[in-house]
Amino acid sequence: MMRSFKQSLRDVAAMLIALAAFAAPVAVSRGQTPPSRDDIVNQLSRFETAPELDVAALRQNVLDKSRSRSRNEPEPSKRPPLVPELLKLPTFTVNIDFDNDTPVVRPSSYQTVGRIADALVNASLLPYSFLIVGHTDSNGRREANVQLSQRRADAIRDSLVNTFKISSKRLQSLGLGEEQFVDQAHPTSPANLQIQIVTIAKLPEQSEQPTQPASASKSTKKSAKKR
Amino acid sequence: MRVGSAQNMSFGDAAGMLAQSCGADIDANCRGVSLDANRLRECLSRNTDALSSQCRSDYLRAFDSIQKRIAARVTVANACTREIVKICNGSTKETSKSVPCLTTAHGVSRNCLQAIDDAGYR
Repeated sequence: MMRSFKQSLRDVAAMLIALAAFAAPVAVSRGQTPPSRDDIVNQLSRFETAPELDVAALRQNVLDKSRSRSRNEPEPSKRPPLVPELLKLPTFTVNIDFDNDTPVVRPSSYQTVGRIADALVNASLLPYSFLIVGHTDSNGRREANVQLSQRRADAIRDSLVNTFKISSKRLQSLGLGEEQFVDQAHPTSPANLQIQIVTIAKLPEQSEQPTQPASASKSTKKSAKKR
Repeated sequence: MRVGSAQNMSFGDAAGMLAQSCGADIDANCRGVSLDANRLRECLSRNTDALSSQCRSDYLRAFDSIQKRIAARVTVANACTREIVKICNGSTKETSKSVPCLTTAHGVSRNCLQAIDDAGYR
C-alpha cells in the first residue's frame, strides 16, 4: 500500500514536470542549420508578465547549490528546477558550438549568433530585455559546470553587445550549469549544452524625463512631472 | 552562398560569410579568439600572409557590412526626424523607442523606410 502511494506520488511529480515542459514555449533548433531571424522573433515576442528576477542573486544561488554536498541530493534527473520562473517565459533554445571547455564560439556558429543579433534589433523585440542562459550536461564537476556555463552565456552577451552593438541594458547573462537542465529527463544529453535566450522584461515605454541639470529650479521640476 | 550587396547584408549573413570564407583560417591562426569583431579583425590582419585567398578577399567586407548596419541606426534618426516627432511622439535622442511605431505607421517617407531597412529594424 505504502509503496503504491509512493509510486503514485512519483507519477504525479513526473506529470507535473511534463506539464511544465509543455507549458513553456520552447523551440529547439538542432544541427548546423542556423535558426531564422523570424523564428527567433516570433518565439521571443510572446511576452506577457514580467517576473521579479534578481540575476545577481540567482547567480549566487546557483553557485551555492552547485557546492552543496547534501547526502539527500537527488540524482540529476530528479533535481527540481532552480529557477522555475524561467520555464514560464518565452524562450528560444539554440545550439551554439564552443571550443571544448572554453567560452570561445566556433566559426560554425557565427551565423547563428548573427541571426540572434538580427532578431534583437527587429522592431518587435526592441521593447524587451533578455536573459542569456548557459547550461551544461551532468558530466564533470557541478561547480565547474556552473562556471563554464556562466562564461559561455557571458561570451554570447559580449558578442551581441560589442560586435553587434545591442544595448547592454537589454542583456543579462546567467549560467545554470547542471543545476537546471534543458532536457531534464536526459542529464547527459548534448541537448543540455544549448544556450537559451529568455525574454524577461519590457522596457519602460518612454524613459523618465532626462534628469534635469542641477541648476533646474523647483518650479521646472514640477512641470516636468506633469508630463 | 548567396551574398547580397554589402550595404544590405544582415548580421547573420555577414557573420555567416566570415565563417564560410575564414572558418578554417580562424581555426588555424586565431584559435581561442572569441567572436569579437575587433579581436578577430586584428588577428586576421596580423596573419594576412597565411590566409586563404577567399578569406583575404572577404573578411574586411564582412566586418564592414556589420559596421554599416550599426551605423545605419544613426541614419534613422536623421532620415526619420519628422516621423519620429510628428507621427510617433518620440525623440530622436531615443530613436529605438520610436522604431516599433515607425515600422507600422502610415505616411512614413521613402528615405525613412530605406534607413529602417538598412538598420535591420524590420
